[in-house]
Amino acid sequence: MKTEILRKLMARFWELAGGVNVRIKIMGIVLGGTILLSLSLMYQVHHALTAIMEKDLVSQGISIGRDLAVRSTDLILLNDPYALNRLLLETQRNNSDIRYAFVIDLYGNVAAHTFGAGFPVGLIDVNEADPQSYQNTVQLQTQDGRVWDIAVPIFEGRAGSVRVGISDQRIQRALFDMTSQVLLTTVVVLGLSLLAATFLTFILTRPILDLVEAARSIGQGDFSRRVRRWANDEIGDLADAFNQMSAGLERANEGRLERELLRRQLFERVLTAQEEERRRIARELHDSTSQSLTSLMVGLRTLESDCDSPQVLQHSRQLRQVAAQVLEDVHNLALQLRPAVLDDLGLSAALERLAKEWQSRHSVQTSVIVQLGSERLPEQLETTLYRSIQEALTNVARHAAARSASVLVERRQTDIVAIIEDDGQGFDSEQVQRDGHLGLLGIRERAELLGGNLTIESSPGHGTSLYIQLPLVDQTIRESMIQESNISH
Amino acid sequence: MSPITKVLLVDDHAVLRAGLGLLLSSQPDLLVVGEAGSGIEALELAAVQQPDLILLDLSMPGLGGIEALPALRRRAPQARILILTMHDDPQYLHQVLKNGAAGYVLKKAADVELLSAIRAVLRGEVYVHPSMTRGLLEDMLPEVESSDELQQWNSLSKREQEVLRQVAYGYTSNQVAIELNLSPKTVETYRARGMEKLGLVDRASLVRFALRNGLITAGQ
Repeated sequence: MKTEILRKLMARFWELAGGVNVRIKIMGIVLGGTILLSLSLMYQVHHALTAIMEKDLVSQGISIGRDLAVRSTDLILLNDPYALNRLLLETQRNNSDIRYAFVIDLYGNVAAHTFGAGFPVGLIDVNEADPQSYQNTVQLQTQDGRVWDIAVPIFEGRAGSVRVGISDQRIQRALFDMTSQVLLTTVVVLGLSLLAATFLTFILTRPILDLVEAARSIGQGDFSRRVRRWANDEIGDLADAFNQMSAGLERANEGRLERELLRRQLFERVLTAQEEERRRIARELHDSTSQSLTSLMVGLRTLESDCDSPQVLQHSRQLRQVAAQVLEDVHNLALQLRPAVLDDLGLSAALERLAKEWQSRHSVQTSVIVQLGSERLPEQLETTLYRSIQEALTNVARHAAARSASVLVERRQTDIVAIIEDDGQGFDSEQVQRDGHLGLLGIRERAELLGGNLTIESSPGHGTSLYIQLPLVDQTIRESMIQESNISH
Repeated sequence: MSPITKVLLVDDHAVLRAGLGLLLSSQPDLLVVGEAGSGIEALELAAVQQPDLILLDLSMPGLGGIEALPALRRRAPQARILILTMHDDPQYLHQVLKNGAAGYVLKKAADVELLSAIRAVLRGEVYVHPSMTRGLLEDMLPEVESSDELQQWNSLSKREQEVLRQVAYGYTSNQVAIELNLSPKTVETYRARGMEKLGLVDRASLVRFALRNGLITAGQ
């Protein structure tokens, strides 16, 4: 229970403390510290000064009382109220702390006093001089602040007593003045420390902000970013460590890029070689093997027309059938290797053919739309598109359990976009991309070789769409990019 | 006795040319007047011999049959041209028929069909290998009435129309979602609903529908 509350409190604290930035935090520390310090100082000084000054005041009052008592003894005995009065007034004039003074005779009557308008009722009774003691002090609360009433016996009580009222108004004023001074000083110091704190936070946060910005650009892949070591402190060490890290990352990235480039080039070479080889074999099969087989068939047919033996005719016909079968097989083999239609008539015809063949083999409704105009695409683009779409359709046949599939190829401004879609069972596209499906990986690699990309949209139960985007721009741009990255290494 | 028909053989394969020559010479009314191993050669021979029939192979090194066809027609205007090829793609057939070929024989059926094809072509008919006529006919299937389709289209909601148009333009669901300020799921739903209303099964049929009805323009 307790820990729960503590935990909540801590959470609340972090919510508050974490909610403001470092600048505010440092300002808070400075402001809080200054205010706390000056307030406690003020309290301490006020307290101590008040005590000392009050003590001083009272003892001053006592000595004035004693003095008055001594000096008024004769006057009382001579019964000279006028002189007595003058003595009192003079004493009051000489000391501004004296609020009032009066003399009481032996019978308890006021013999002289400093109250011009009239003697306040009841003042006599608030204090009484003890003839045995030196003095007696009573503190009074009046409208004008505190007054210490000091009663001093005259001639050891044999001639009445003197009463002096000492006010603390002057020291209150002095204390007020001092407090105001301290407050003013506090405000000035606060202002100065705020300025200092602003400067300090600037010094402190600027390298941090630098680091933040650099970290961000490294996160975005700009590994060349370095930060300046602003100061010889922990943040400076952090900057050094950061720079070392960036340098390490940059080296690692360069190595990675280099390997990636090599891998790409190798991949491209393998692809080109494979395509070349397939084309060569397909051509060979088409141009040589097939023609020979056709010659064979035509030759047999010619023989038959000159022959009368039914047995030989029968035999020749069988041989022709065998040759026709072999021819068919060779033709299919050549098609699978690389359809001549792709080279002769272009992508549209090749895709048309691919889809038709695929549809009859897998009994999935397939439609193809190619909108590229009459102009042929660059050969590499055609091959990439054809192979990618072939792979995509193979995937559909293998995994999708689709009822229909569609292939769309069109020009969009400077890009060629190919969309291969099915209404099959779909898959979790993120997971498949993470797991690295080989077929999809191949499509992506092929696309990236030409500076394009592959987007996969699929979710279980909703079919699959592959979007292949290839830039139509001349390959020279890509090549110059490769050269550039070669130079920079 | 019909007059002698002059035949020009064009094929890059010498053995096949020889075989064809033998086969044709077994016919009393056919006379092989020349053999060409390439398109260029064929053009020269056609101009000189002015044959009545040219047996033309499509794939040859250098100038192929497809490219040579129009020039051959110009050089020997009276000649009937019969294509003899390995290629069974309807695309080739389209192309050569458009360029004025009179017949199309597959090599795998040359032993059986060639002679009857030659006869048909010489009679002024067009001969196409039977397995390939289907590809020709597909283009002539009846088109759906377009105004009905436009009505169907107009019965869709604005949102559905927008989504379908973007989909027809080839944008991914995510792109459409961003463009139209919808979630990808909503885009999928609109798309599925709209296509169902139009009776379309896939993106290709949607694109065809949109092109047919002028809802999108190609090449944008």
